[in-house]
Amino acid sequence: MVSPTISSGGGCTPRSSGGSRFWSRLMLGITFGRSELPRNSLYFVNWWFDAMIVGGISILVWAGLSIFDRGINIETIFYFAIIASIFINFPHFSATVYRLYQNSANVRQFPVTAFVLPLVILGAVIGSLWQPEVIAPSFLLIYFLWSPYHYCGQTVGLTLIYAKRSGFIIGPRERLALSGFIFSAFVYGFTRAAPTGANFYGMTLPTLAVPDWVSGAALAATCAGTLFFASVVISWCIAQKRLLPPIVLVPAAAHLVWFVAAANAKVFLALVPLFHSLQYLLIAAVMQLQLRIGGRGGEHSWRSIKIEVFRWGLRNIFGGAILFIGLPVLLSWLPIPFLTIAGVIAVAVNIHHFFVDGVIWKLRDPATSAALMMNIRELGGAAFVGQTDTEIVGASSAHSP
Amino acid sequence: MRTVRSLALVVFISSPADAAIETSGTSIPTAPSATFLAVAIGAMVACALSSFFLVGRVSERTHIALAMLIVLIGAFCLLVLFGEAGRNDPLPAVLIMAALIGMFKLMNRFEARSTSRLFGSGGLFSALIKIRR
Repeated sequence: MVSPTISSGGGCTPRSSGGSRFWSRLMLGITFGRSELPRNSLYFVNWWFDAMIVGGISILVWAGLSIFDRGINIETIFYFAIIASIFINFPHFSATVYRLYQNSANVRQFPVTAFVLPLVILGAVIGSLWQPEVIAPSFLLIYFLWSPYHYCGQTVGLTLIYAKRSGFIIGPRERLALSGFIFSAFVYGFTRAAPTGANFYGMTLPTLAVPDWVSGAALAATCAGTLFFASVVISWCIAQKRLLPPIVLVPAAAHLVWFVAAANAKVFLALVPLFHSLQYLLIAAVMQLQLRIGGRGGEHSWRSIKIEVFRWGLRNIFGGAILFIGLPVLLSWLPIPFLTIAGVIAVAVNIHHFFVDGVIWKLRDPATSAALMMNIRELGGAAFVGQTDTEIVGASSAHSP
Repeated sequence: MRTVRSLALVVFISSPADAAIETSGTSIPTAPSATFLAVAIGAMVACALSSFFLVGRVSERTHIALAMLIVLIGAFCLLVLFGEAGRNDPLPAVLIMAALIGMFKLMNRFEARSTSRLFGSGGLFSALIKIRR
């Protein structure tokens, strides 16, 4: 384990040796000279857990699918995606709904989102079910385009969170570079997938006859943006005399895999919503823990964390099942194929989620904003903020749950 | 209701084949698209009236959110009417895609506290990052 000491000038002199020191330095972005090591942990849980959840798993799955391409049973993967949706994807929607409606203060703060918007979406649902051939395709098209756009927002958001935690300040220039390649990658991915017309709950997703040059231009913009952002990162590393912690780049790397490297891999694309939901659930769970345990009167212990995560998880699995299974079953008496009903409801839940998601993270509650800078150990009983950097290293590499 | 139906009739001329207008009698067209448009226009009118009657009672943020809902409903109607063109012709396809992305960007600011940076918002958690700064 690395045991760096910080000089008054901020210099860092590692005392131990071995290969693990390099990786610890790399993961934590520990300075090799002058630096401002953030007092918070870099991670919500620990380096490997965070890295896996915010993109590592998706990159590994993509690599695995690419290597073992021929021996894969596509149907098995689709079935896996459906089952996993019940425990990962559906709960992520429920978590958003739960977060908005769990207390009256949130509802009062955003009355249009809480009360009026669901009525508008309900109108679109009624129209789509009433005229599945005329209105539903447009409803589906909005979802088909908005969903990856929404993923972009989350990728940028996660990158900003980890950048903030690692002391990598993202100004307008860095943000332009980051958003540039993230959103260009989305346009590229959409235009590559659009001509094929994917199947969604038995319905063919409507396509747009986007010309090839749009796809080419988006790819060029993605490459240019990636290079620009890479140059920004390298400049920062040189100026700071330390490496940028890789966790900052994991969400963006995963995003490039989703939309560029795997743009034509239909099997992998079926899993992307799961990966997106995993990212979301990590943040939402941490937020929930901060609100329930981190607040006044909360019992800081691992036992409380486990109970709260279990309770919250169970609630959202149940809520997700109601949204995606219960509601369609409730409407199954309609003279429309059940899959169409389920598909239209799924689109409605998604679009509602895109709106609510953009609202609930803007709550100006100190507990809410503090949650995005916390480490779960703080709630497990150990005071984390303000510890020495030696302890930070230990926390991230040895003592994590 | 008759006024709304008449309005729907005017808008509906973009899709005459579907209209099934009965010129001989007094009945108003009841084609599904016309009914859908009538309801959508009604919803837009309701949002606008709500905003009007709530002046001074609700925040500016709520008024803007109601205006955004009008944009959303209107955009959806246009997509239903002209979306088919984007499935065949490249130019409408590009225009529809660009317009939808623009709408998503606008909707990012739905019921946001500040509208001063309407097009300067970022991703999912960016607002919180700003708070922390």
